[in-house]
Amino acid sequence: MAEKTGSEGAEDPLSTQFVVDHHVDGHRVNVAELPRPVVEELKTIGHDAHDIRLAVKSDLGPDGQFGEQWLLIDQQHLLVLDRPNGRAYQRYRFELGEIEDASIERCVGNGLIQVTAGKSPHVLLHYSNDLTDRFGRVAHYLRERAKHGAETPIPEANQDAHACINCGRYLADPSSRVCPNCIERGKIFRRLVMEAKPYWGKVVLIVVLLVAGALVNLVPPRLTGILIDDVLRPDGRTEMLLWLVLGLLAVRVSSVAITIAKNWLSINVSGQFTAGLREKLFSHLKSLPVDYFDKNQTGRIMTRVNQDTSELQGLFDQLTNFALNLLMVVGIGIVLFLMAPSLGLYVLIPTPFVIAAAYHYYRDMRPHFRRFWIARWRLNAMLNTFLSGVRVVKAFAQEDQEEQRYHQRNDRMLQSQLRVNLAWGRFFPLISFAFSAGGLIIWYAGGQAVLADRISVGTLMAFIGYLGMFYGPLSALTQVSEAMNRFVTISQRTFELLDEAEQVQPERPLRKPKLSGSIAFDRVTFGYDPYFPVISDVSFEVKPGEMIGVVGHSGAGKTTLVNLLCRFYDVTDGAIRIDGEDIRDLSMDEIRRQVGMVLQSPYLFRGTLAENIAYGKPDAGYAEIVRAAKAANAHDFITAMPEGYDTIVGEGGSGLSGGERQRISIARAILHNPRILILDEATSSVDTETERQIEEALNELVKGRTTIAIAHRLSTLYNADRILVLNQGKLEEQGTPQQLMDKGGAFYNLVQMQSQMARIDGSTASL
Amino acid sequence: MTKSYELVYLAAEHVRFRRHGDTLSLTLLTEDGVSVDYPRVILRACFPVSDSDAFLSVRDAGEERQPEIGVIEDWTQLRQEDREAIAAELSLYYLVPKITRIEAIREELGFLYWTVETDKGPQDFVMRNNITHNTREVSPNHWLIIDVNDARHEISDVTALDARSQKLLGRFLSM
Repeated sequence: MAEKTGSEGAEDPLSTQFVVDHHVDGHRVNVAELPRPVVEELKTIGHDAHDIRLAVKSDLGPDGQFGEQWLLIDQQHLLVLDRPNGRAYQRYRFELGEIEDASIERCVGNGLIQVTAGKSPHVLLHYSNDLTDRFGRVAHYLRERAKHGAETPIPEANQDAHACINCGRYLADPSSRVCPNCIERGKIFRRLVMEAKPYWGKVVLIVVLLVAGALVNLVPPRLTGILIDDVLRPDGRTEMLLWLVLGLLAVRVSSVAITIAKNWLSINVSGQFTAGLREKLFSHLKSLPVDYFDKNQTGRIMTRVNQDTSELQGLFDQLTNFALNLLMVVGIGIVLFLMAPSLGLYVLIPTPFVIAAAYHYYRDMRPHFRRFWIARWRLNAMLNTFLSGVRVVKAFAQEDQEEQRYHQRNDRMLQSQLRVNLAWGRFFPLISFAFSAGGLIIWYAGGQAVLADRISVGTLMAFIGYLGMFYGPLSALTQVSEAMNRFVTISQRTFELLDEAEQVQPERPLRKPKLSGSIAFDRVTFGYDPYFPVISDVSFEVKPGEMIGVVGHSGAGKTTLVNLLCRFYDVTDGAIRIDGEDIRDLSMDEIRRQVGMVLQSPYLFRGTLAENIAYGKPDAGYAEIVRAAKAANAHDFITAMPEGYDTIVGEGGSGLSGGERQRISIARAILHNPRILILDEATSSVDTETERQIEEALNELVKGRTTIAIAHRLSTLYNADRILVLNQGKLEEQGTPQQLMDKGGAFYNLVQMQSQMARIDGSTASL
Repeated sequence: MTKSYELVYLAAEHVRFRRHGDTLSLTLLTEDGVSVDYPRVILRACFPVSDSDAFLSVRDAGEERQPEIGVIEDWTQLRQEDREAIAAELSLYYLVPKITRIEAIREELGFLYWTVETDKGPQDFVMRNNITHNTREVSPNHWLIIDVNDARHEISDVTALDARSQKLLGRFLSM
């Protein structure tokens, strides 16, 4: 097996990421990027700006106001310069050699970088949250330099981790790669069109139907014009009356038929398209690494998969309506001008007012709607919390206060609802007035034209008929830009999720059909945020079949340790090996198949108990399922249920007690039959009797497997081969329980503390 | 030794705060005349939103868990020098700019881009356009706006803003 790490000059993924040049001397800051006053101040204090190797600017001044400070590092020194009012002066100067440690700390809305020099702590400067990454890299460099000396490569600190890959600007959304400025709307549309390839034929058909529908709608006013001019007059051609009316009927019928066909088609296409998209999203989601789900709240992901796709569908339908409206406006406009060019101009007079009124109105309406939705959401949320916490409410006799709260929110909702309805109530009369005012102008101007015999009465009537169909679509079109905006936003978000990188799988994964189950942690360092390591420099080895207990305070990194073993996350530094192979070289399926987990709060899926037990092996037969349940001490309570193994449990296993859920998950692990077993606080939060039953089940499970057990109750670890004691992410002690007890260290103290607690428990129990 | 679950009050006559650059240190004088030096302490307000002067938690930054040394019930009652040191430290620790005027709010792809004038100078920030998660109504007309970096921006009284700012707020935030 190749030794990849552990040697001197180990590749540190943190620094290699932003190192430009490994030769320390080769890296220099471009002096032109430093402000003049900074360069001059450097000269006055005896430094040459050309020697500066790292320069990072903070956006806060020493007084907590927005301002500017510079952290500069040259070959030997670290300098901090303040720049008030365009000038610059030195605040601190340290010899790099005297800096023993460096770190960044989070404050509220900002952060600080501090160093330890000469055993005493010094805060260098504060910076706003935007710059956390940059100063994190500086602190990391200083820390490494304190350990490894001047050979430590200097990082490229002024590049943001969350920067747009196109323009380098800071990215608001950590899950995206391109900033809104660089998103090309055209590209998104092109991609949407490509995604919709299977439906192109149907889309063309929809467009044809739209055009046909628009044309058909243009016919009736023309026919009524003819009716008035040529038929409904003393010497009219009365024989045409029936034909014209039949013609009108035919037009209406075909219009209805076309509309129904168009709606049917577009609903089908948009429905199928978005259903396909949803499926694509889900299949992509399942292959994303766990840290994607840490970074993005469940709610946000749900929104993207469910709400966004259905909104996309609604927008599709809306867009076809816009297309129809646009065709209508253009078609009617052309017809009006052809019929009577002089009257056509009058149509245009109210047009700007209609557009402006509709645009402003919709814009001012939106906040009312939003306020109403939020008020309604708050009211629902309040009812929800009340119902789920009703026992607490009653226990503290707070019914009246809750009622008062509900009343307030209800009142708020009522107010916002009234506002919405009143605003709508104002809107409709006003907008229809705007439409009819346009008609009045035509009545007047057209009436004069009729009197002067320039146009016929029939033309005027047709004209007015067309006009009625003109302003409606026109005012609807003012919403196009808003709808398009939503459309682009949502498509972009959807594509972003589709483009999210899947977990890195080895190119040629090693397949090991049968693992012996040895584990080695080799100087493993890991942080969910690389600058705040949760596990640092942990090394240990586990022989096949050994049982290892992991103990430590909460937050010591126990769960993180096992998450790393399952490769839910990748180590920041160091390596984890199973059977001597780096787990990053093993195929993911292999790891998951050979590593089983029993968690503190086991998750049961909605389905029967049998399905839940066989979750990891869906083709398991009755015999296997029942044997696993029997071994897990679950068989008895399952058979006592009216529906036995066919009992349906809800999400999270509602309807079962904690201990019962736990035993189901143990049965699941037994059936899964992994070589390596992880028990994460498997017996916490259950009573002693249940614990005993679970213990029995676990003893059955761990036989012949490599086991790593995280335990809160130390008594459960007495038969462990070895105990690891974690403290603040570091391995504090390891050894057999007896060795550690004899040593009288951290483990001994933990045991002492727990036995005191047990005595208190015992004395209260005997009362 | 005091038990860890008991609240320790730090009285004005027992504390001496000092600042060296941006570092706040504390000398604690105990009853029997012994003094303890903490080369670096940090301050955390217990009620930063509702009453930032009440109950200041003083913590030892030198230890990894930053254990609490004690709380100051009302730091405005301390000696002049201590007050100044604390005020300077707090203004650095809590960066919650108060918005005095809104120049522009622009919506793009689900984010609101703000350009504002604050008591700490002009600022641009980006907020996820999700009102229910990223704004908080502290009391009527008093709002906190939380940006994508989890930094807070305060509007202490919406009605005290100029008409244009209020209109922009109304259009984008429906407050």
